[in-house]
Amino acid sequence: MNKLAYIVLAIFIVFLIYPIYVLFLVSFVPPIYTVDRLYPYQFPVALTLSNLQQALSNSQLIHALYKSLETATLVGLIAVALGIPTAYGLSKLPEKVAYGITTLLFTVNMMPSIVVAIPIASDFIKLGLFDSALGLALAQELIALPLTSFILLGTFQSIPPELEFQARVDGAGLFRSLSEVVLPLAREGIIASFLLSWMLSWDEFTFAVLISPIRPTLPVLIYLYTTRGNILEAASFSLFLTLPVIILTILLQKYLRGEYLGGGLKG
Amino acid sequence: MTGKGNLSFFAFVLPAVIYVTVFSFYPAAEVVWLSFHSPINNSFTLSNFKSLVYFGLPSAIVNTAVVTAGALAIQLFLGMAIASLIVSKVRGARLLYILALIPYGIATVVNAVDFSFIFQSTGGFANGVLKFLGLPTINWYATTPLELLIIIIADSWRNFPVFMLLMLAGYSSIPRELYEAAAVDGAGIVRRFFEITLPNLKKYIAIALIIRGISEFNIFALPLILVGYSPPLLTTLTYEFYSTTITQYYSYAAATILLAFITIFIVIVLKLGGGGRR
Repeated sequence: MNKLAYIVLAIFIVFLIYPIYVLFLVSFVPPIYTVDRLYPYQFPVALTLSNLQQALSNSQLIHALYKSLETATLVGLIAVALGIPTAYGLSKLPEKVAYGITTLLFTVNMMPSIVVAIPIASDFIKLGLFDSALGLALAQELIALPLTSFILLGTFQSIPPELEFQARVDGAGLFRSLSEVVLPLAREGIIASFLLSWMLSWDEFTFAVLISPIRPTLPVLIYLYTTRGNILEAASFSLFLTLPVIILTILLQKYLRGEYLGGGLKG
Repeated sequence: MTGKGNLSFFAFVLPAVIYVTVFSFYPAAEVVWLSFHSPINNSFTLSNFKSLVYFGLPSAIVNTAVVTAGALAIQLFLGMAIASLIVSKVRGARLLYILALIPYGIATVVNAVDFSFIFQSTGGFANGVLKFLGLPTINWYATTPLELLIIIIADSWRNFPVFMLLMLAGYSSIPRELYEAAAVDGAGIVRRFFEITLPNLKKYIAIALIIRGISEFNIFALPLILVGYSPPLLTTLTYEFYSTTITQYYSYAAATILLAFITIFIVIVLKLGGGGRR
């Protein structure tokens, strides 16, 4: 039995690693050994940084990186700024009202991006928000905000109400008890919300390709390069899109808990 | 949650409620409304939907359903199996956990580019492995089922961690004593799985199925990069009409159908799962 478990474990590990390994090969091995060959070498026969250097000298990449960074940070900030009051309010509202609003947020979260993005794109042209980082962030917020609200709702609910009650008895007003008691205790949830929203935007494609196609974010730029057949650039750009998130994912795995993904759903 | 509540806290929630309503329900309603109108004289019509039937709508629906069902099945299996291995604390479990989180950190677009190197019509990394093993090579884009299969594989690789994380959360909610008691009663590992693990994980499985299922219906960047517009999915069909036709009304119609499917899916899963919520 135990032996079987190890065989299964080994198969899973190979399945998990292989695609990452391929990405590594394409990025760090000269293209004559990989994408330019019919059957690419499966082992790093030679290593080079020139693929990445070439990518970095491409001004489009720099613009796209900047746009992605700007948008993701905006999404994270708006998510936390709107998510905190929303989740706090939900945790204090009568259960029936809170349930209704949670359902509403859930429905929005589940709304297909492409359905919403097409009319938003044409409305944004009229509003002057088309192709801007703010406009894109406002659209991506539709996915990030409900998620953030669920995570923070779970966080606020896990804070014993006595603590806040005590602060109120001691004479702290609503906002002081919020800022000095509730928010510090909710720090972990707030950080998790910001990071998950940030990562969500960093990765987001559907809204980005429809709302910001002219000065694209990094995911859209990669898509444009693959459609033009510049696969090598696409691969090295991919690395710039991937590395920050992999580092974040590993460093912050304690925040990436299933409880958060379940969020407010579990009630 | 405390039983009592104060309605004045509604003011806290209001900005978000207004925001999401304006930004999502209004555009969605716009799409549905326009999909029933003629691009020529703006009168009520079903012609947009009728025309779609000739432009690949039926196969888009079938393909979307196949990808959704296939990806959910594989991700549920992977998530459950890997979570079980991690919980059983075999050697290497910690490594497996960290490795299993990495795909979730890979952007969907990168996921697609990566798998397009692996699966190619001739040559490529997957065929290289097959050739090395002395097996016949495969043109991964030869038939629609094969193309759908590589979409399912690539998507499952990236997204099974959602299942894994939720299953881990589920496992941690099961009291250890239940297993000990069952072991004392002589229940084998299979019976313990079906009589303790599965019933206790039911709620978490339902949540994972809802979250991932809806994303699967929406799967867009991955098929767009991996296979392009053909075979069509509901999303790629919508985008194709949006970006290539003069009138956007067909894309509205396709989007409306996608919306309808997701709504139906949510209702079904909520009913079957006994509700994600208490």
